[in-house]
Amino acid sequence: MRPLPLSDELTQAFWDGAKTHRLMIQRCPRCRHWQHPPGLVCAACAAPDLAAEPVSGRGTLHAWTVLHDAPAPGFADRLPLIVAVVELAEQPGLMLSANLLDAAPGDLRLGLPVAVAFEEVTPEITLPQFRLEGR
Amino acid sequence: MAWVFRDRVAVAGVGYSAFTRRSERSLAELAIEACDAALADAGLARADVDGLATSPSMPRYGGAKGTIDGIDVVTPYLLTDLLGIGDRLLWTGSTNGMVTQSVIDAALAIAAGLCRHVLVYRALHVPKGRYANFESSHAGGPEQFLAPYGFTAPPAWAATAMRRYFELFGYSRADFARYMIDNRANAAANPNAYWRGKPLSREEYLGARMIADPVSILDCDIPVDGCAAILLTATERARDLRQPPALLTGFAASTTAAPGGAPMTLESLWDGAAQTADRLWASSGLGPADVDTAQLYDGFSLFVLTWLEGMGFVPRGEGLARLRDGYGARGGALPINTGGGALGEGRLHGMTHIAEAVLQVTGRGGARQVPGASRSLVTVSNGLNKSVAFLFSADR
Repeated sequence: MRPLPLSDELTQAFWDGAKTHRLMIQRCPRCRHWQHPPGLVCAACAAPDLAAEPVSGRGTLHAWTVLHDAPAPGFADRLPLIVAVVELAEQPGLMLSANLLDAAPGDLRLGLPVAVAFEEVTPEITLPQFRLEGR
Repeated sequence: MAWVFRDRVAVAGVGYSAFTRRSERSLAELAIEACDAALADAGLARADVDGLATSPSMPRYGGAKGTIDGIDVVTPYLLTDLLGIGDRLLWTGSTNGMVTQSVIDAALAIAAGLCRHVLVYRALHVPKGRYANFESSHAGGPEQFLAPYGFTAPPAWAATAMRRYFELFGYSRADFARYMIDNRANAAANPNAYWRGKPLSREEYLGARMIADPVSILDCDIPVDGCAAILLTATERARDLRQPPALLTGFAASTTAAPGGAPMTLESLWDGAAQTADRLWASSGLGPADVDTAQLYDGFSLFVLTWLEGMGFVPRGEGLARLRDGYGARGGALPINTGGGALGEGRLHGMTHIAEAVLQVTGRGGARQVPGASRSLVTVSNGLNKSVAFLFSADR
C-alpha cells in the first residue's frame, strides 16, 4: 500500500473534492489569488477565511523526475514512477505535484499540456493524478 | 548596509572527527572528538568555552524520526555534560534550521559581548536501512501532498529542478562529468574526506545508479557518521591564538519560501540564491569578483549550479557549460568546493564547507590549497529559507 493522505481542517476540501472527481484549490475571497497547499491566510494579501474552488484540472508539465527505486514499499509494482510538477492553468506559478499516468519517460517535454485524472486508491481516498492531454 | 561587526569576529580553530559510512562509535563520541580537535587547533582548552551551539536534527522522511540524544543527534545540552563545561557556559544555542544559523547566533553572541569562545558543531548520523524510504502508512501535514505520490525524498525534489535545467538549456548528465571528476579530485586530496584517495572516472559517474532521474547516487552527497566543529572568537582575541584567524566579513540568510505545491523549483532555487547574494554583497561591501574560492552547498550536485548562477557569478543557464570547461576546478577561474564538498568530503550540512573556507583563507589547505586565496564564499542549503551564505577573509 502506498502512504495515504491524512487530511486536516485545511486540506479536507481538497481530498473531499478528489473523492467526487473535482480538483479543489484554495482561493482568496478578497484578491482571488489561488494557492496550494492550503494555508491559514492568503499568501498574496493575508486575508483569512479562504475557501476551495474547483479548477479546470488543466495545466502544463513544469518539471518531472523518473524514480527507479521504490520511494516506499507500495510503489514497487509501479516503477519506473513518474512524478510531475504541474503548473495549473488558473495562475502562473500555481504548482501541484502528482504522478503522470500512462506516460513513458521518453514522451516528456517541458510545457506539454496535461489534464487531471482521478485514481481511486481506497473506498475513502481518491488521488488527483495527471495524464498527458489526449491520452 | 555593511555589517557593523565586519571582520571583527573570526574562526580560530577547526576540528573534524573521523568520517565513516557507519561508525562503530556513538555520535556523541564523534562530537567530542571534533570539538576537542577544534579547541586543540586554536590552542584552547574545554574550560575556555563559554558558548556551545548546533542544530541537533536528523533528516528523515516517514517512519522513525531519529531523536535519541547521543545516537541520532547530539544536543548542546548533552554535549555540555559530556565535555564537563556546564559551570563555564554562558549560552547554549539549538536551532531547528540549519547549523549555519547557529554560526550566525554564535557570531552575534561574540559581537554582543555575551561570549568569548563559542564552539559550533554539526554531528550527523546515518540511520540503519535505506536513507529515503517512506515507511509510514499515512502522511499528514505537508507530506500528505507528497507521500501518496512517492515524492518524499529530497533527491527526487532536486531531480525535478535538474531535469528542468537540462531541458531548458539543452544539457545532459554528460555535461556534469567534468565537474564531478574535478570535485572528486579535491576530495581525494583531502585527508578528512570520505572519498580521500579515491578519484572518480567519467565512466563511473555516467554509469552511476540512478536514484531519481537525472539524479544518480553520485549526484547526492555521501551520508556519513561524523562531526565537524569550529571555534569562534573575537578577531582581536583570535590573533593571540595558535592559528591565523579567518575573519567573518559578512553573512546573509535567505527568506525565500518554497514555491508551494512542489518542494522546490529551479526558479525558486535561483531566486533564493539571488536574494542571499544581494544581502551578502550588501553586508560585506564585496561582490563576486572579490571571491577567490567558493564552497557551494552540494547536498545535490544541481545546487552548485543554482548558487553559482543565482548569485551572479555566471548567467543563468551558462553555469554547466562553464563547469564543463573547468571553471570550478582547482586551477579554474573560481575553484569550487576545494575540499570536495558534501559530495566528496561527507554530508555535514555545511559545516565542512565552512571549515574548508577557513582552511583556504588561512593558507592551511595542504595539497588542495588555492595559492593566494584570501576570500572564500560559503553557501549552505538549497537557497530557500534556512539557507545562509558567509564570506570569510584572510587577516591581512
